[in-house]
Formats: sequence, C-alpha cells, structure tokens
Amino acid sequence: MRWWRADLHIHSTLSPCASLALSPARIVAEAHRAGLDLIAICDHNAAETGRYVRRLAGATPAVLMGMEIQTAEEVEVLAYFTDEESALLLQEELQASLPDIPCDPELFGDQVVVDEREEIVRHVERLLLAPVDLPLSAVVRRVEDRGGLAIPAHADRVPGGLLAVLGLFPEGEWPLAVEIAPWTPVAQVTASWPGLGTRPILRGSDAHYPEEIGRAWTEFYLAAPTLDELRAALRGEGGRKVRPGPELKEGR
Amino acid sequence: MELRKVIAEIGITTLVGADLAREVRGGYCSDLLSDVLAHAQAGDLWITHQRHLNVIAVAKLRDVAGVVFPRGLRPSADVAARAQAEGVNLLIAEGTAFEVAGKLYRFLHP
Repeated sequence: MRWWRADLHIHSTLSPCASLALSPARIVAEAHRAGLDLIAICDHNAAETGRYVRRLAGATPAVLMGMEIQTAEEVEVLAYFTDEESALLLQEELQASLPDIPCDPELFGDQVVVDEREEIVRHVERLLLAPVDLPLSAVVRRVEDRGGLAIPAHADRVPGGLLAVLGLFPEGEWPLAVEIAPWTPVAQVTASWPGLGTRPILRGSDAHYPEEIGRAWTEFYLAAPTLDELRAALRGEGGRKVRPGPELKEGR
Repeated sequence: MELRKVIAEIGITTLVGADLAREVRGGYCSDLLSDVLAHAQAGDLWITHQRHLNVIAVAKLRDVAGVVFPRGLRPSADVAARAQAEGVNLLIAEGTAFEVAGKLYRFLHP
C-alpha cells in the first residue's frame, strides 16, 4: 500500500458555471501538472465527461466516474462510480427530473460535452445547475443501489453544503465521510459540527478553472486507486488511511 | 399571541397541532437550517420551504412556536409523525412565504 493523491471534485465544460477550457485533454494535463494519482469529474447532475477523461488518462491518473447531484433540499452530494453505465443511467434518471429551465448561456454559461479529441459531442439544453426532484435520502439510495459512493460536497459551505443547508447531520449512518470547502481548516469543521464524530474529512478542489485542479486534495493510503479501496479507507479497514491536504489560504 | 389565534387570523391550516397554546413572539423566514439554528428566536413562527426531517430537530432546538410551509407545500408523513412525537406544531399556508410573513407581521405589530 502507498499514499495516492486524489482530487475528487473537478468540474468540466459540462458545468455551466465552469470554464470552457476544462476539456478532457486539459483536465488530464492539469492533473499531471498537479501530480494527482486519482481524480473524479463531478459536473452538476452530469457524469458524461468522465468517460472521455478516462479514455485519455490511461493508467494515471485513475479516473472515477462522478457527479455532483443537487437534491430537492438543495444539498449537493458527490457521487462516485466505477462503471460508466451505472453513472450514466443515474445521470439519465436525474436529468429527467430537473425543472424544465433552458440553459441561457448568457446567464448561466455553456453546457458542452467535449470528447477526448476536443470535439464537441453535444450541448445540453436543460439547465443542469438545478435541484433534481428527489430528496437527499432518495438520492443517496439511488447512488448506493447502483454500487456508488455518496459523499456530501463542501459540507460547510453556503450554498449547497449539507451542514449549511440542513444544519445537522441527518439521522443514520450516512455519510461515511464529508468533503469540506478548499479553504476551510479541518479544526474549524470538527469544532463547529461535533456530529461529524469520527467520519473522515475529505478535501477536493471544486475546480471550475483549469489552474484550480489540484489546488486542494486528499491523500489515501491504499493498495490501488479504486473505488472499493477508497471505500475501505473511509471505513478505516485493513490499515488504509485518509489524510486531507491543507486548506487553501487565498483565492476564495 | 397564542398560536391558535394567529392561525385563525392569518388563514393558515394546522397539519400537526401539538401545542396550539404556544405563544408566538415573532417570526423567522429561512430555508437554510444552519441560519435558523444561529438566528431564530424561541417563540418565532418559522416560515420555510425546507421539508427535510432535520426541520423538526431544528425547530425543537430553537424552540420555535411552529413551522409554516408556504405555497401549500406538505412535508412527508415521516416528518409529520416526528413533529407529533416531538411536540412541534406544523402549519400549512396556501399563500407565498412573502404573504404569510406579511400577514404575521401585521398581526403581531398592528
């Protein structure tokens, strides 16, 4: 086993709020620049870019299929999958339940799927930056039923953070871990939310611009950079470990 | 002002009437539960679109007089059951949050 550096929260051209420079080729180049071993592309209610990033990345970085799902409560949840089909089927289901708001590029930005050859595959017409018609508990169930891992995104942050929106952890075991904002000190989160208990804290870049990729990260002590290993690390199994990187000092 | 009088006066309906004799001292509007935890006062009538189960825990922690869901929004059965068990009043208004807050304000501050 060894330490692997992961940035599990990267947006692409498919997020209206993210830069059109974030094509798969650029994401892979920036991941190499940042020395990342493992990444996940998490667009708003969309997983599609991940498959093209995978085709380019080869062995390094390893690429999880990902999504940043906005629940009916307007809580944002990161969902990770190993196989493309599970992620894309869930994407289809979620997008069908989005409010029918067209994405006006002037107001929201473009939603473009770009492939591994830098070709535009399609534009997504419906605004992705909106809540799906499923409450948090149902979203988590959908993700887990398809073999995925669901983690609250930037839990401390307004807008969209689980703890900011819902004030407290929901009852039950979920979540296994929480992601916090790139600039939040870990000590601040553990002091503010005792309900966190022993849950591991993760940090991701939430990159919306190429240079932001890898600005925040989490290191995982694993046998291999896979979702199963990651899940085992979050449970602290077999000597696997999790270590969030330091908070970002500026650029908030 | 007693909650049952407020209900009659501003035209809202009771979904869970755990304690309608509660004193209403003011109001608070927010859908961010962390904000409600930080700023709502005991005795406030809390107007929110948020219908997650945590609403009941937050209402209890802040000791609000009741929770009003505007626009006819109804929480799920498990939320209502929890409110009943925890003694939290749940109310439903047909109007918007703006209308409910306006009526409540006018009634409390004539």
